[in-house]
Parts: sequence; C-alpha cells; structure tokens
Amino acid sequence: MPRYRQSKLKNRGTAVTDKNGFFDLSRSTLSRRTALKGLAAGAGLTLAPGFVRYSQAQSSAPIKIGFQSHRTGIGAAYGRWYEKTSAAAVKAINDAGGINGRPIELVIEDDGTDPARGAEVVGKFATQHKTDIVFGTLFSHVVMGSAPAAGENKIPYFVVSEGHHVASTKLNRYVFQPGITDVKSQIQSMAPWIAANAGKKVTQIFPDFAFGYDHRDYLPPALKTQGAEVIAQIAIPPTESSFTKYFPQIPAETEVIYHVMVGPAVLTFVKELGEFYGSNRPQLFGFIDSLEATDINSPGLEFLDGSHFWEGSPRYAQADDSAAQKAYRAAVGIDDNGASVGDAKDVSTAAHMFGCWETLYVVKKAMEDAGYKGPEDRAKLVEATEALTEFAEGPEHPQGPKTFNGKIHQCFGIQNISKVEGGKLKVVHKTKIEDGLYEAEGDYTTQAL
Amino acid sequence: MLAILCLTSPTPAFAHASDRGHVLLLPTGYYIAGGALAVAVSFLVLALLPPDALDRFWRRRLPLFAFGDASRTIVSLLSFAGLAILIAAGLFGSRDPLSNPLPLTIWTLLWVGLAIAQGLLGDLWSWLNPWYGPWRIVSRLHGRRGDEVKEARLPAWLGCWPAFILFFAFAWFQLIDSAPDDPARLACAVGFYWLFTFVAMLVFGYRDWSQRCEFLTIFFAMVARFAIVERDESSRLTLCWPGAKLLSAATLPTSGIAFLLLSLSSVSFDGLSKTFFWLGLYGINPLEYPGRTALIGIGSFGLVLTFVLLAAAFLLAVILGQRLAGSRHSLGEASGLLVWSIVPIALAYHVAHYLTALLVDGQYALAALSDPFALGWNLFGTADMQIEAGIVAGADAAWWLWNLQAGAIIAGHMLAVLVAHGLAWRLHPVPSRAALSQLPLTVLMIAYTIFGLWLLATPTAG
Repeated sequence: MPRYRQSKLKNRGTAVTDKNGFFDLSRSTLSRRTALKGLAAGAGLTLAPGFVRYSQAQSSAPIKIGFQSHRTGIGAAYGRWYEKTSAAAVKAINDAGGINGRPIELVIEDDGTDPARGAEVVGKFATQHKTDIVFGTLFSHVVMGSAPAAGENKIPYFVVSEGHHVASTKLNRYVFQPGITDVKSQIQSMAPWIAANAGKKVTQIFPDFAFGYDHRDYLPPALKTQGAEVIAQIAIPPTESSFTKYFPQIPAETEVIYHVMVGPAVLTFVKELGEFYGSNRPQLFGFIDSLEATDINSPGLEFLDGSHFWEGSPRYAQADDSAAQKAYRAAVGIDDNGASVGDAKDVSTAAHMFGCWETLYVVKKAMEDAGYKGPEDRAKLVEATEALTEFAEGPEHPQGPKTFNGKIHQCFGIQNISKVEGGKLKVVHKTKIEDGLYEAEGDYTTQAL
Repeated sequence: MLAILCLTSPTPAFAHASDRGHVLLLPTGYYIAGGALAVAVSFLVLALLPPDALDRFWRRRLPLFAFGDASRTIVSLLSFAGLAILIAAGLFGSRDPLSNPLPLTIWTLLWVGLAIAQGLLGDLWSWLNPWYGPWRIVSRLHGRRGDEVKEARLPAWLGCWPAFILFFAFAWFQLIDSAPDDPARLACAVGFYWLFTFVAMLVFGYRDWSQRCEFLTIFFAMVARFAIVERDESSRLTLCWPGAKLLSAATLPTSGIAFLLLSLSSVSFDGLSKTFFWLGLYGINPLEYPGRTALIGIGSFGLVLTFVLLAAAFLLAVILGQRLAGSRHSLGEASGLLVWSIVPIALAYHVAHYLTALLVDGQYALAALSDPFALGWNLFGTADMQIEAGIVAGADAAWWLWNLQAGAIIAGHMLAVLVAHGLAWRLHPVPSRAALSQLPLTVLMIAYTIFGLWLLATPTAG
C-alpha cells in the first residue's frame, strides 16, 4: 500500500484560504491524487497563516480512513463524486493540520456496489490495511451487507447513505450516519411545505420496491398532521419503461403529484407525463434522486419547468449562498450549475455528496474529543461520536446546521425545496430541523462495545 | 442477517437515471428496422454481383514497405518488463481500480484498445505479447533454436480446445467474478497466467502453444484478419480492404469454430446480462441491482447459454444453407470456413459495447500509468490530468454514441454478409448456389443485427 510520506511530498497548492479564512482550493491545483495520498504536509504548510505544523514529537503517522467506494458497479456515477468530495475534504483537513496533528490518508477499496463484496472490503480494512475507521458507503444494500462485518471487527463504520437503516437501530453500535439526514426525516420534513404551498390532495407515483416504499409509508402520516392527504398511491413495476397506461389512475381531483421514479426510464416517465397533461397539470413535487447526476435541461424534461424538488444540498449556486457553501463548492470543484469545473457535462450528485465532506469533519471532531491515538481507541471513538449533539453551519458543515442523536447514530439537518425555473433549480424553501424529527426507534448505546 | 434486514428494513437505492435514459428517448426502433434492412439489401446486392469481380476487387493490395522481425524480441521484452511493473503495481500500488494501472491496462487498454487496434492495423500482439522475448532468451540459453527441438508435443486431437477453455475462464473472470477489477486479485490472475503460459511454451514450444492454447494470441490473430494491413511471408507490408484477409483464411477445426463463436457470445452476454429483460427473467429488480456476487450462478448459466444458442443457430444456418445449395462439402468444412464471417461482427460488438468504457477509463488509464505505484510520480505528465467523464454524459453524447455504436453494429454485419459471400464462393463456384447457401446465414445476421441494436437501446441496470 502507498504509505503516507511526509518528507518527500510537496504541497501542490499554496494559498488555500480565501479572505474569509475559508478553504479556497480552486486557487490551488487540487488533484484527485493529492488528497488521496495525504499529500500537503511539509514546507508548504508554513506559507499559509494559521496552519499548524504536524506535531513531530508525537506520532505523525497518518490516520488511515478506509473508503468503501462504489468505484464500479451500479453506483459508480455516485461513487466518482463521493470520491471527489472526500478527497477535497481530506485535503482541506490536512492543509489545516489534520486530525490531532496527524494527516488523513484515504485508502480506497472498491466494493463494486456489491453487498457481499462490501463485507469483504470492511474485513480487509480491519485486518489487512488496519485502517482506523471505515467510511463513505452510499448504497443501502451495501451498508446493510457490510454493517455486520463492521460490528464483528469492532471498527467504526461511517456511512453516507441517507437510508433509514442506521436510525432504525437495526444495525449495530459501530455504524454511524452523522453527515446526511435519513430518508424518513427528509420525507417527513417535506409535508408542511407541500400542504401549505402545493396542495392538500396528493397522489404518489413511486417504483414498486423498497426505495418507493419509504415514500409510500412515511409521507401519508406526515401529510395528515398538516391537514393534507394522500388520495392515491400508484406503484410502478421497476422494469416498466412506458408509463402512459398508469396515468389514468391519477384521480382527477389531484392537486399535487408526488413522484419519486428512479432508473433509466425517468426521462421517459416525465416526457409521457407531460404528453398526458399538456399545459394544464397539477403541481409536481419530486425528489432529485430521480435526476441526480443528470442535467435537468435534458430533452424530455421540459415538463418539469415550474415543478419542485427536494434537494439535500442545492445543485445550483444560489444568490444567498453562505461563504462556507461557496468555499465547499470551489474545493470540490463544481461550477454554478453543479457540474464539474472544466467539464460542464459532468453533472454532480450535489444533493448527497456533501455528506462525505461533513462526515469527515464529524470524524475529525469525534477523534479529537476522544483523544484518539489508534485502533485501540475505537471504542472511545464510538462513545465520543455518540456524545456529539449538534454541528454548527460553517466550513465543516456547509450544507447547514444539524443535530445529532447519539442513541440512534443519526443526524438531522435542514432540507431544501427547489423550484425548476429558467433551467435551474432555485431554492424556495429551507425546512427547519424540527420538521424532520421523529420518535427514536431504539438505542444503540445500550449495546455492548 | 442480510436477508432478514432486507425483509424488515426499507432500502433506499439510487438507480442513476443514466445515459441509457437519453437513448430510450431516441427513435431507436427506426435504427433497428433500418439496420436489418441494410443487411438484407447488402445480401441482395451481392447476390446480383458477379462473384469473380468482387473477388478481384477484394484481392487488391497496395504494397507499402518491408518490415523485418529484427526488433520483435526487444519489443516483447519491453512489453514483458511493462507487464512485470504493472503486476507489481497491482500488488503494491493503489487499491483503487481507477487509480491502479493494472486493471485499467488489462481491461481497457488491452482488451478493448488493443483489440480495436488489431482490427484496424493487424497483428500487433505478435510483437507486443510478453512471452515471445523471454521465451527466445530462455531458449537460446538452453541452446535451442526456435521450435526445432521440442521435448513434448501437444496431441493433435486437442485442437485448440485448451484455448477455448482458457478463453471461457477469462470471460468468466471478466464478466462473472465478483471483483475482476481488484488490483491484487487481478495481479495474481495475470501473474499466474503469464507464468503458466511461459512454462507451457518452454515445454511444448512457443509456436504450438501460442497457436493452439494461448487464447489472447488466438483471439487477437483472428481479429487482426479484419485489419487493413497485411504482412506477407517476405515481411512486406501491404494495404488491403477491411476483411479481405478473411477470404484467404484456412478452414477452422471444430475447436476454432467454438472459440470464434465464444468470442462473440461472451461480449453479447456482457450486454444482455445488464438488461432489464435478462434480470427480469430471474425476478431481479434492476433498480436494486444486487451486485455481482449475488448473480454468479445466473451469470455462469447465461454465459454458457448464449454460447450454446449462438453455436446452435450458426450451425443450423450452415446446415440449412448447405442443404439449399445441395452441397457436397461436409458440415465441418463449410462451417469452419463460414465462421470467419463472424469476425467483423465480433469486432463491431467489441467497439460498440466497450466504446464508453474506452472513452472514460482510457483517461483514467493514462493518468494511472504516470504514477503506477501511487507515490506522487508523474512519469508521462498525465498524472494530474482532469478525467472528463462528461464526454459520455448527457443527451448530446448519448446521440453521438448511439449513432457510432449503431453504425458499428450495422457496418459489422454488412461486412459479415460480404465476407460470408466471398467464402461461400470458395465453397460453391456456381454463383446461384453460393447465394442460395447464404440465405439462412443472412437471416441469422439480420437477427443478430436486431439483437445487437436492441442490446444498446433497451433499459439496463447501472
């Protein structure tokens, strides 16, 4: 394995903070490789004010973070952006002195978006690479396939999946999701805005499998408390590629169509829905998951103009973006349209990938709280993470403020509701954290470490 | 545990809308109909043309220059050294398959890039293969010259069945194994295969082993027969028409027929295995694709099934054709010759199927080769190049890619009809009989055109 080599490596960037003191990596030559290999130590650091030299007295060996990455397989489009975001966060953390004075080294293993392989990879991190933690998994089935291996190896496993699996407390004490709100909370927090602004009579259209069932199950009770109701639920078979025959099932009195279709046929779905309704349509509300990494100005999506979407973090730069948000976008390398800087066709997974950035900062905070020194302190790290309660908005948490429930290992943040307007997604509402809170379903802290 | 969780806990999954989504909006049905028509019309036009005129046209050559064997050993030794470095990188470099040069070189540059280069430029592999040079040196050290002295001999009945079996194992590893991209796993596989082959070449002789057992050499040599460059016995290079070299090919034995058909069926299955149709047959939700490990059984079955179906369809077409023409040739003779017409199709599938991988992973490969051990090197100045994944993303790219892919598939089948026509004339000097004998094979090629275009147009997972 490539090891962190402090002395020989040069810092390729120079001034990496802007006038506000935020990371501005757009002015440095951040490459995919620099952060991955934990470069950036050495003489370059002393050039920038406020930077701490890694303590030479204590161990300056890197903190090794095993990145369970969807490099190949069905999740590869997301995996690429998760990798970019994580590399940017690691570079930013390392440039600012690392964790407890130690740089981070990301060790990537590809899980092929395969649950069985995922468990294997967690085992490799624990026994072969001897990483301090495992991090970065997106796909829920890989999380669930890997979680037992993390528990058996007693290695903290920080996922960025947005699934409700962590908060359901059905996994184990070593699994955390501190960087992205879970889907149950996301759905619940949409209800007040939908009821107040879009309409009271909602028809749901969702794919007929687990992903759709989250929306089928969590939305109706949330809407009910807001005085609105779901009047029809239309489940579409996952292998369907033409949808016109389902549209007559939409009740005529429908005021809002809540759609969460995913997969290659999404564009066809939208196009056919447009052909069905013409210009006289109900309100449309969707989750950007349907079109993550896809240009919303693609042919076929014209019908979405004026409709609304949930976004975790906004794809498009907003007029009121915070300095932290701007710095984060520059560091990751996405332009104002949420595409790769220098490659406008490469649309990012902006709504989710911020979770990698924020999770790494949570890991940093928890490790520093725990006085973490090495794998022998993993239990202390678990307890220190559980003791966290809130994360303030700022460079470490550019998406917004969050609270953290240590009993269910899940964070809760604000959500964005964006309107498709002039070919962009414009944030029209930010939910409150309280909108997404729910009764805890269990307590991991009662489990033995 | 996983099964229980899957039953009890909702599982959000992100099925990427993906670039296939843009293709679904294209009028692919017209392309499929047009492609089938084009292949059928090529058959009719050829049937009307005088075969000898066509043959004369195909046999035209444009002499270039002589190109000796002098540096072949050196080139192969360099290639061997490169492979050794890549294997070391696989074992000790980055664990990331998109940063480690070994998987990118093997799966993208070699299996996709070199295959296409062979199809255009001829048999580069006979120079680039990493065995010839080391074998020459070891043979010299043992005082042996070429293949003249051999301690062992491969039995004739073996044909090239060992190559068939090895190619099947290769295809299985690439398409079915849970992690063929894992650098260490691949390094072990590649290292072991190199050593195994090298020892076998020392025992049975380079020529015998590479022509009957080493599957890469056989595959690349077959593909190279399509190329526009020919090198004759006197080492002179000439330009020829694409596929012209196929006309003079020798009749393949049964094992060779099987090998060539497997090379097409395995790429076809690679496409088929990700379609909603195939996954739907097994009740697998393509939007919740369970990963490669869960599909090993189905995949293994499918890999065998597509080969069996293609082989059966091909043989049936040849048998029917021979019947129609009242041929006195044996089935083995006719099919061993006509199977060469599969080469343009196999090459077209290769191009169409791996085009996007070549465009994106090719960039990753260039970057990774500059820093093979992830030590911060920049050997070729490409280590920090920006990977432009957007080159294959979005509606415009989908349109271009679809047209290139469809064009390759349709052109490949039209050329296949042309080659089959020329080969049939060798079997049946009477033009009307030659044309008649081709009717069933043409029907198969039309069907395969439709299948190939459908594979590229239908919804797929991932």
